[in-house]
Amino acid sequence: MKFLIKNILRIIPVLFIISLIVFLLVRVTGDPVSLMLPETATDAERAQLRESLGLNDPLYIQYFTYLGDLITGDFGESFRYNQPALGLVLERLPASFGLAFASMLVATLISIPLGILSAIKRNSFIDLFITGGAVLGKAMPNFWLGIMLILLFSVQLNIFPVSGTGSLMHFVLPAITLGTAIAAEMTRLIRSSMLEILGQEYIRTARSKGLLEAVVVNKHGFRNALIPVVTIMALQTATLIGGTLITETVFSWPGMGQLLIQAVNLRDMAVVQAATFIIALLVIISNLLADLAYRYLDPRIKYD
Amino acid sequence: MKKLLTFGLLFVLVFSLVACSSNSSTSGDEGSVEKKTEDDKELVIATGADMVTFDIHDHNTTSTEAIHVNMFNYLVKRGEDGFDPDLAESWENVDDNTWKFKLREGVKFHNGEELTADDVKFTLERVANDNKLLEHGNYSQIKEVKVINDLEFEIITHQPEPALLNRLSRLGSGILPSKYIEEEGWDKFLENPVGTGPYKFVEWKKDDRVVIEANSDYFGEAPKWNKVTFRAIPEDSTRVSELLTGGVDIATNLPPSDWERVKDNEATEVAQGPTQRVMMLVLRQTEGHATSDPKVREAIDLAIDKQAILDSLMEGSGTVTRTRVTPGNTGANEDLYGKTLYDPEKAKQLLKEAGYGDGLELKLSAPNGRYLKDKESAELIQAMLGEVGIDLKLEFLEWSSFADKYASKSFDDMFLIGYGNSMFDAALALDRLSSKQAEGETDYNNPEVDKLLEEAMSNMNAEERAKQYQKAQEIIAEERPQIYLYQLDAVYGVNKGLNFEPRLDEMLYVDDITVK
Repeated sequence: MKFLIKNILRIIPVLFIISLIVFLLVRVTGDPVSLMLPETATDAERAQLRESLGLNDPLYIQYFTYLGDLITGDFGESFRYNQPALGLVLERLPASFGLAFASMLVATLISIPLGILSAIKRNSFIDLFITGGAVLGKAMPNFWLGIMLILLFSVQLNIFPVSGTGSLMHFVLPAITLGTAIAAEMTRLIRSSMLEILGQEYIRTARSKGLLEAVVVNKHGFRNALIPVVTIMALQTATLIGGTLITETVFSWPGMGQLLIQAVNLRDMAVVQAATFIIALLVIISNLLADLAYRYLDPRIKYD
Repeated sequence: MKKLLTFGLLFVLVFSLVACSSNSSTSGDEGSVEKKTEDDKELVIATGADMVTFDIHDHNTTSTEAIHVNMFNYLVKRGEDGFDPDLAESWENVDDNTWKFKLREGVKFHNGEELTADDVKFTLERVANDNKLLEHGNYSQIKEVKVINDLEFEIITHQPEPALLNRLSRLGSGILPSKYIEEEGWDKFLENPVGTGPYKFVEWKKDDRVVIEANSDYFGEAPKWNKVTFRAIPEDSTRVSELLTGGVDIATNLPPSDWERVKDNEATEVAQGPTQRVMMLVLRQTEGHATSDPKVREAIDLAIDKQAILDSLMEGSGTVTRTRVTPGNTGANEDLYGKTLYDPEKAKQLLKEAGYGDGLELKLSAPNGRYLKDKESAELIQAMLGEVGIDLKLEFLEWSSFADKYASKSFDDMFLIGYGNSMFDAALALDRLSSKQAEGETDYNNPEVDKLLEEAMSNMNAEERAKQYQKAQEIIAEERPQIYLYQLDAVYGVNKGLNFEPRLDEMLYVDDITVK
C-alpha cells in the first residue's frame, strides 16, 4: 500500500514537467496563426486572430493561465475544431484502445508459440528462421509494413478492407501492422526466458521423473518464463502508443494517434497538450501496473 | 548463420515482390473495383483531410466547404457568365451602397422551418460583426442587413462594394436557420447542423467520415443520391488503394506518382481540372537587391522553362500563365493566360547588360511540402537559372517556419509561393501589389498600378472595373514584381462508371456527379 501511494504521488511532478516541456515545444516550433490563415490574409487579419487566440500575452502569462486551467481539468479549446481539447482526446480513446488491444492480441498469439518453439528447437533450422524473422519484424518500419499489407491483402487479394473502421475485419491489417514489432520483441524475450528456465535444475528433475516433455515445457517451463513477459507486455504501452500515431494515419483509423499527428501539423496547441498529457498518464499507469504485476507473480520481489 | 541469411533474404524477397508487382502492374487487373452502375444510389468520396467544423463562418478550408455546399445554399451562385439565382430569386443595386434582394418562396430548412429574410440577416450580420470569426475579414464590408418583409431585404455596405456578389457566392455565405440556432443554441447546431441544401446531415465521426442523405423536401431538382459519405483518408497511398478496391468512388488529391496505377486499372480513371492556385516567384525590388533591376527580373523569367517543370514533375498537368487572375475570375486578363516566356539566350544577354555577365548569386526561399512538388520545382528552377549564369541558393523551410518569415516579410531576394483566390475577383489577387501592401515584401511601387487598383476597388461599373484590373495585370506582367509560373491542376481518381467534372473552385457538388 505504501508502495502504491508513493508511486502515485510521484506521478504529479512527472506530469508537471511533461506539461511544461510540451507547452514550450509547441510554442517554439511554429505559429498556429500562419497555419490557420491562407496566404492572402492581411496583417490586420493575422493580428486579430493572434489576439483572439490569446497568443499576444507573454509566454509566462500564457503558461500560468494554462496551469491554472489545467488544475480544473480544462486543457483549452482546439483551434481546429473549436471544441474543448480534452473531450476531443477522450472521445478518441476507445478507437485507439481497441486497436492497441487487437495488436497486443496479435503479438501474443504470434510470440508465445514461436518463442517457445524456437527455445525448444534451439539452434535448429526453425529457431534460425524464427529469430531471423523477429529481427526483420522489428526492423520493418510501421508505415511501410502497413502499406505493403494493404497492397497484398486488400488490393491484390481483396480479403480485408483497406482502411477505416466498422467491422472486425477492419481490425486485422492495422493490428498486424502495429503488432508485428511487438511480437518480434516478445518472441525474442520469450525465447531467452524459456532457455534460461529450461536449463534450471528443477526442469531436469521434472524430466528425470519421467514427465511428458509437453508437461515439462508447459507447466514447469512456460509458467515461470511468463513472469518477465507479462511485465514486458505492460512496458510495451509506450511502443504501442508511438505505433498508433503512424498506423492510425496509414489506415485512417479515427483514434488518438491520428488526432495528435494532425494537431502537431496544425500547431493545435490545446490538443497537443491534452493528448500528450493523457499519453504520459497512460504510460505511467501501465508502468505502475507492470510493477504490481511483477510483485504479484513473483512474491520474492520487494520494493521499498 | 548462413541459413539465417538465406531465410532472411527469402523473407525480404517475398515482400519486395509484393511491392514491385503492385507498382509496375500493367495488366489492369489490380484491385477488384467494378464500374458504378445505375441502381447504386450511394456515393463515397475520399478526401485528404477531415472537415473541420460546421461553423460555416469560422473556417477557411476549401475541403470543408466542398462538403458544406451540399447542405447549405448561398444567396447567389457563380455561373458561367456572372451570377445565377440560388436562394435569392432576384437582386438589384438601389444605390452604390445598397443591394436589394428577393428570396425564393417556399424554401424550407431541413427541420421544416421556412426560410425568411430574418435568416439572412442573422447569418450575414453574425460574420460581419464578430471579428473573432475566421471569415470576418471577407464580410466586414457589410454594414447591415435591413429586413423589408419575409422575402425581401437590403444589404447595406460601408463603402461601394463591387465584389459583393463574389463574396455572397462562396465560403461563409450559406444561409443558417436563425430560429433553430436562437432556440436550441449554437452547440446544438454544430452537433446537428441544419441547412436548406439538397442533402441533410446524418453523422460526423471526426477523422473518419461525414455522412449526408437526400433531402426529399429540397426546393430544387430532386437529389440524385440516397446517401453520400465523405471519408477522410490522409495517407495518399491508402486513398488510392480504396479507389482501386471500390471502397470509394472518387479520391481527391491524387499524387502524380499514383496516376499510372489509377489509369491502368480497368474501372478507374484520372480526372483533372484547373484550380484557383497559381504558383509564382515573388521578387524583391528593395534597393541593394540585384532583383531591383528590371533586366535581372526579366532574365529570371526568361530563363525558366515553366512548361518543362509541368511536364517533368506533374505529368504535364497545369497551365502556364503570365497572370494570377485566371479565367473564371472577375477581371481576368485572358491575353496573359496560357502564355509563357522562355528564352535563355536573351536572358544571358539581359544579365550582361545589367552588369552581371560574370555571374550573379541570388537566394530563393521555398516551402517544402505545402504545394504539389514545391521543393522539386525550386530545384528545377535552380538548375535552369544556373544555365544562364545565376547561382541560385535555395532555402527550404517547413511550412510553419516559411509562414513565419512570410508574415514578417523577411525573405531575401525571392520566394516561391502559390496563391489561391476564393473570392474569384481580381481585387484579392492584386491588392498585395499596391505600394502600401507591398512595402517591406516586394517594395513594388508603381503609381499607375496604385491608381488602377484604388479606382477599381470601389468602381460599381463592372465593365470598366474589369478593364482597370486587366490593365494593371499587363503592367505587372512586364514589371515582374511576381513572376508567374503556372496554375495548378486538381487531380482526382474516379470510378469509370461516373461522370465527374472537376470544378475550378474544387467544390464537390454531389448532384453534379452522375452515373454514366
